[in-house]
This record gives sequence, structure tokens and C-alpha cells, in this order.
Amino acid sequence: CSFLAGTMLLEIILVLGALIIYFFLSKKKEETLPFKEGWWGKGQKPDTEEDTTIWPFKVETTEEELSDLFRRLDQARFTEPLEDSCFHYGTNSVYLRKVISYWKNQFNWKKQVEVLNKYPQFKTKIQGIDIHFVHAKPPRLPEGRSAKPLLMVHGWPGSFYEFYKIIPLLTDPASHGLSDEHIFEVICPSIPGYGFSEAPHKKGFNSVSAASVFYELMLRLGFNDFYAQGGDWGWLICTNLAQIAPTHVRGLHLNLVSVTNLGFIQLLSILLGRYLPGLFHFQDEDVRRMFPFLEKGLYRILLESGYAHIQATKPDTVGCGLNDSPVGLAAYILEKFSTWTDLEFRNLDNGGLERKFNLDDLLTNIMIYWVSGCIVPSMRFYKENLHKGIGTQKHERLTVQVPTGIASFPNEVMHTPQAWAQKKYTNIVSFHFMPRGGHFAALEEPELLAEDILQFVGKVEKEQLWRKK
Amino acid sequence: ETFLSRIRSFEYSQRNAVLVPVATLGVGGMLVYWLRSRHKIKTIEMGDGWWGSGERPLKGKEDESIRPFRIETSDKEIEDLHYRLERARYTPPLEEAAFHYGFNSSYLQKVVAYWRNQFDWRKQVEVLNKYPHFQTTIEGINIHFIHVKPSYVPHGKAVQPLLMVHGWPGSFYEFYKIIPLLTEPARHGLNEGDIVFEVICPSIPGYGFSEAPHKQGFDSIATARIFHKLMNRLGFKEYYLQGGDWGSHITSIMAQMLPQSVKGLHLNLIFVGKQGLGRMISVVLGAYVPWLVGLTREDARRTYPFIQKNVYDLLRESGYLHIQATKPDTAGCGLNDSPVGLAAYILEKFSTWTDKSFLNKDNGGLESKYSLDELLTNVMIYWVTSSIVSSVRFYKENITSDPDLSALSRVGVYVPTGIAAFPQEIVHTPRVWAKQIFKNIITYSYMPRGGHFAAFEEPKLLAQDIVHFVRKVEQL
Repeated sequence: CSFLAGTMLLEIILVLGALIIYFFLSKKKEETLPFKEGWWGKGQKPDTEEDTTIWPFKVETTEEELSDLFRRLDQARFTEPLEDSCFHYGTNSVYLRKVISYWKNQFNWKKQVEVLNKYPQFKTKIQGIDIHFVHAKPPRLPEGRSAKPLLMVHGWPGSFYEFYKIIPLLTDPASHGLSDEHIFEVICPSIPGYGFSEAPHKKGFNSVSAASVFYELMLRLGFNDFYAQGGDWGWLICTNLAQIAPTHVRGLHLNLVSVTNLGFIQLLSILLGRYLPGLFHFQDEDVRRMFPFLEKGLYRILLESGYAHIQATKPDTVGCGLNDSPVGLAAYILEKFSTWTDLEFRNLDNGGLERKFNLDDLLTNIMIYWVSGCIVPSMRFYKENLHKGIGTQKHERLTVQVPTGIASFPNEVMHTPQAWAQKKYTNIVSFHFMPRGGHFAALEEPELLAEDILQFVGKVEKEQLWRKK
Repeated sequence: ETFLSRIRSFEYSQRNAVLVPVATLGVGGMLVYWLRSRHKIKTIEMGDGWWGSGERPLKGKEDESIRPFRIETSDKEIEDLHYRLERARYTPPLEEAAFHYGFNSSYLQKVVAYWRNQFDWRKQVEVLNKYPHFQTTIEGINIHFIHVKPSYVPHGKAVQPLLMVHGWPGSFYEFYKIIPLLTEPARHGLNEGDIVFEVICPSIPGYGFSEAPHKQGFDSIATARIFHKLMNRLGFKEYYLQGGDWGSHITSIMAQMLPQSVKGLHLNLIFVGKQGLGRMISVVLGAYVPWLVGLTREDARRTYPFIQKNVYDLLRESGYLHIQATKPDTAGCGLNDSPVGLAAYILEKFSTWTDKSFLNKDNGGLESKYSLDELLTNVMIYWVTSSIVSSVRFYKENITSDPDLSALSRVGVYVPTGIAAFPQEIVHTPRVWAKQIFKNIITYSYMPRGGHFAAFEEPKLLAQDIVHFVRKVEQL
């Protein structure tokens, strides 16, 4: 009898021991994400060496392009909204008509093209496709100072243009009332398939592919050491970049964080976090933003993720009409600029759009999608990243050791508390609750975002945190 | 002993003279109530509604006239369409994508070339007008329908009224091939003509030539009520119903709303709402011992592998449903402005929902089952009526008020029901699961071939099953 008990005890100890060792090992395991080779050009990859030249690029327009656009705007067919529906059924077509009227009569695309061209733009061929990027250097550098390279990556339905207000705050902080302890040269590429970057011709171009392409870009520009900043898809691409090349990314700054490999503790925190916030390391602000969870978490995601579902499964179908109808394209994109800036805007007849943005900026962003005809490839990115489901890709289970700074904006569609972010980002140097602002932080609150980036970089540089990896 | 003596000593007194009858009545009453409630069929409240624009007029009765209607077109309409088709902007598909990313734009260009150069809308309008069309105002909006009567009725035989309801992205036009098989079966080689129908196919409000509701909240219950009012206005007290897609949902609700008016309900798609623990157990066991949980071999073949067919496939195919149920005005905006976008969006469903393997084909297998003329005629109905946005709002109105479409399952359907289970339907519902809602299944047929658009794709098979079902009901 005691022999049996002894064996059982031994078995239990062995199993426990194995579990403990397993957990220890799995925590210490620091896998890197491998660089993803690829070739995305048309047809067969040629045997010749890739052309690595970088050539200057300017956005151009033609009369033909403008008159075609105006004809389509004139012929637009609208459907009356239901009575009292505001923005609850999507973009309100009565307000949309006003936007179209402005687009036709007041918006000046030629002038906006000049605005776009105020920062130097370039193209270069990487992995078989032309990559477009903005490279803005500081207008003046004090004696003996150097500019730090900063890669900023946009998302959907945004573009490199989202950064046009924040770029001067980073390349020339002193002129904008900010501390000039750190000055940046900013590189804003267009994700392949967006704007003026060529779209991949082959299947499989996901965030890791984009991160690999941008990594090659930074190396080609001569940067061995740089900072990366992003929101929306930019968040994921920069995260992947930090996982591919941790020794090259000094710091990672994000205005969106999404953690997909939630474990048991996180699920428990959803149930109990409201009542025992301290137990789960939730701050008051976390609780305020996250609970009641059904309403602010689950229902909100279901209500707002229809676009992601259809884009992740049938991008060519949903994008087809949008590439042919500028009004349809505008409705589709503007809805996001409204709802993702403030969910309360759904209760307004005009979607609150002009409270935070001006129509010129909004339409310039839309025009980038229109003139480049990139709406379909931009949507394919969802399928390439999500088609197997959320939380299923290898890189989603890997952690990030690079020093990370997170700016958490209050009107982001879903809030991720630091307690959850830490599961993936093991080296969070700064995490701030921003006082206002939504998803399109760089365009809506450039000063707030710039300040947060500056303080983050300040911390990393002061303590030389990039060395301690 | 004491009990018997008690009874014997039961005195006849005034008090007892009152108490005893009262007690008997009370107990008897409760008994009767209990017996009746066991058989009382729950129904869905009919309710009422008004969907016109602005305020509902207080005075005056609604105009109940039934007005003949003809579809018309104009040079202007056709030229505008051609202009847009000529200037369509396409995006080349990814290499080897076939239909996996949605409608393949290389094939789309071929369809549009046909649409621009060979498709004859004026001729199709004449085809559409071959059956009599009507409009009538119900609850403040114009309801369009076709009403086809048999030209020859066998002596002494009754003509069965049959209401057939379409779905999305279909229209009344889906029934054009099956109607003659139901109104003149003998001429088409079906049965000896003992069952003959007069067919009424309305357009759901917001679809085709029915006016779109101007107010929020127009769901299947409102549609069901309006269609009952329509049949009533046409003079029918009892009728058969047939439907697939939204038509199935609407006709099932009609059967729950006014069972005494519904002689029989025939469906080619079943909505099975909430699934509880019992269902999950049945699913798991069914993979190994289907017979134990009431699944036939054919059920098992169509249902398993379960996760693949019922979770992954469904998730892959329900993006449209998700966006239409949340942001219909956004989703439909571009489609109402770009005929090419509209065609891609609608025809993708005619491809994938007819046969899932069509995803692997560069041309989506469309022309193997349908002609471009009939596919484009259906698309044109959405285009010329500008009804795509109102049609997709139906998803939001239904899903917001009833997220898992479970109202059906709470009330149950008791009218005689016939189910035609087509093999390529998006999701298969075995009879044993259907029984949880449909308590009175008279026929359940495994169809040999065909997908979601049964009436359009396999009219003869569907007609035969409808007749087979109605024959059985009439014999009851």
C-alpha cells in the first residue's frame, strides 16, 4: 500500500517537475522571426541581379484624370438614408452628397499634388516590386548633431499622407515648440499594394513580407540602426520588423497594440478585471475604457469588423466597385475616419468628420487610393494576413524584446491594457494614456503623438536601452 | 374505516352545497386549461407597421387597389449603363488566384464585354413582362408581384395558390423557369396534372420593383405580415408557401404568424437558430455513430468534417453578411454607382453558392449552370431599380433584432412542412435537427444535385418536390 502511494507521489512530482521545466524553457525561449525572402513581380523571377538604384519620384496628375473623376462624381447614384439613421447604417448619403459637392467644386487636386510633393519622394525596386517612400530630412541640423532615422508605417485606409502633419514636428521640433534633444529624418514608405508602391503580383504578401521589404529598404538607404513607428497595419509591420531584426531596431513606438494570443489569465481578467483590477494590474483608466466588456469589447468588435471579415475573404469582390466608383470609395473610407476617430460620431448626421479633420486632407487620402487604383490590393493585405484566422500565424506567438513605447489613445476601437501588451512586448519602456484622439493619431493629434515619440526616444537614448537586449 | 365513516357522515348542508360545486369547477377548470395549453400552438404576433416617408396620414383608408404594372426601360437608361461599362476600371487578379480572392477580374471583363455588346436589355424586359405584373400599396409602400394563373385547369380540379418568396441576391425573376412547371405541369412532362398551381411571386420591400421602406426596423416579420395582407387582398384564405434564402425565413414566419392560412410550407433552405448542448453532443457523436443521433448516411456525408464545412467554410463565405448586417449603406454605396462592381458582388454568390468547388475555377463555373442572359437580367433588376442598398439593409434589420435568427426556434412551426435538401447548399440541415423547429415535416428529400439557387438552377427537380409534397398534404 505504501509502495503504491510512493509510486504515485513520484509520478506526481515527475509530472510537476516536467511542467515547471517546460514553462521555464518556454519563457526563456527567444525565437527570432526569420527574414522572409520573396519575389513579387510579374511572371518568372529573372536571373539577373536586382536593380538597387533609388530614383526620385513626384506625384503627377493630368487633365484626363481630373475630367474622368468629375464625370463619375456628376453621374453618382445615391440612395436616400432611412429616417433618423445618422451614421448607424454606415456613411449617411445626405452628408456624402455634400462631400461630393465639395470634392467637385472646391477641392483642388492640382494644389494637393503640390502639397504631396513638398517632401522628397523616391522609388526603388525590392523583391521585384517598386517601393515608394517619402524621405524627409531635417531642414537644419545644429552643429555636431545627427538626425536619427525613423521609419513610420501607415495602415488601412490610410497612406503615407497621414504623416504629413507630424513630419515637421519630428524633423524640426524646435520650430514647433518641442524639445530638440532628438531630431529625426523620417522615412514613410507605402506598403506594397498601397498608394504609389507597386502591388505584389503573387499570393502570400503578408505583414512579414512587408517588414522584410522595409528592412531591406532601410539597409539600402544606409541605416543600420533606426526607430520604427506605426499604427493599424503599421503596428504589425513594425512589430514584425523588430522581431526580424532586433539588433537594428533601436526602439519601437506604437499607437495601436493588439494582442491575439490571449491566455487563460487574460480571459480571467475579462471576467473579473472590473471587480479586482489590482489583481490583474489594470489601472483605473484601463477599467474605464474596457468595461462593461460585452459592450466595449465584444459587441463593438462585432459591429465594427464587417469590413475586415469581407476583406479577409473576398477582397477582389468588395474592392471591385470601389475602384470604379469614387463616391463608393469615399463612402467606404470616410466611414472609418468617422467611426474610428470617435464611436459617438455614429450618432451624428454628418459623422463628425469635419470636427477633427478638414475635407482637403480626407479627400487627398482618398485620391491617393483613386489615382493609383490600389483599393483592391490594399484589401488583399487583409486576406494574406488573416485568412487562416486570428492568432494562427507563427509570428503572433513570438515576443518582442526591443524597447517599446506605447501611446494609448482613448477613442481607439478596442483598448489593450499594458497588462496584456506586456505578454508580447516584454520590454515596454513607456506606456501612456493619451488625453484625446482616436485611431488616426498622426493625422488627428500630431502634437500629442510627436511628444510621446520624443519622450520615448529620449528614454531609450538616455539609458542606452538598445544595448541591453 | 374512519374515512368511510367520514363520507357517510357527510352532511348535506348549505355550506357544502356551495363548496363542492365550486371546488369541482375549480379543479375541472384547471384540468381543461392544462389540457388545452398542451395543444395550444404558439404564434408570432402579427403586429402592425407603416413604412412610407414622413408622417403616417391619420385620415383616410389606405388605397387597396391592385394596379397592373409593366417593366419599362429607355434609351437613356441603356446608354448610361453602356457608358459606365465602357469606362470600368479593373484590377488584375493575383497569379493563380482563380475565385479564391473573390470574383476574378479577368473573367469579369469577359462578362462585361458580353453585357455591353451582346446582352439585349429591351429583349429581356419583354421576357420579364411575359407574366402579369401588379403593384398595390400595403402599410404605406408599393408592393410589386407577379401573378400567374394556369391557362388550363383540368375539369373539377382545384387550383392551389402558391406564394413563392425570393432571397438575396435574387429576385422574383429566379422563379421564371419553375412557374410554367407549376402552372402547366402536364405540358412539361410532370405528373398527370392533378396538382396545378397559381403562383404569386412578390418582391420583398426594398428589392426590385417593390418600394423600399423609409423607416428603420423593416424585418422578416413585417414582410411576413405584408405578404399575408397581400394574399388576403387577392382573395385567398388558404395557400401554400415556398421559399429559400430570406424567402425561407419569411415564409416560415408567415406559417408561425397565421398557421390557419398556411396549407403547407415548402423550403429549400432551413434556418436553424440557437444550438444548445444537445446539438453539440449530437455533432460530436454523429461523426462516429450517426445512426445513434438520428443522422442518415447522406446527412453524415454532407455535414462532416464538421468544423471544415460548418465553421471554416461558413466564416469564409459570410463576410458579406457581416458587413451588410452592420454597415449596409456603406457596403451598397459603390455598388449602386458601378454596375461592374454590382455584377461582381452578386455573381460571386451565384458562383460559390451553386457549387463550392467553383472557387477553384478561373471563370467561377458560372456558365456551366446558367446563361449570362439570365444572370445579367437578375443583376439588371438591382441596377435599374437602384435597390442594392435597401436590399442589404434587410440583413441589418433582421440580425440586429434577432442576432442568431432564433425567433423561429422559440415558437416552432406546426404547419405541414416539406424540405428539399440540395447537396451544394451552403450548409446542410439534417431532418433530425430541422424537427426541433419544424414539428410537422411531411416530406424531406435529399436532392441529387443543385445548390442554393434551386429554382433558378434545377427548376424541374424543385417543382417535382413541391408537387410531391403538396400531393401528400392534400391527401392528409
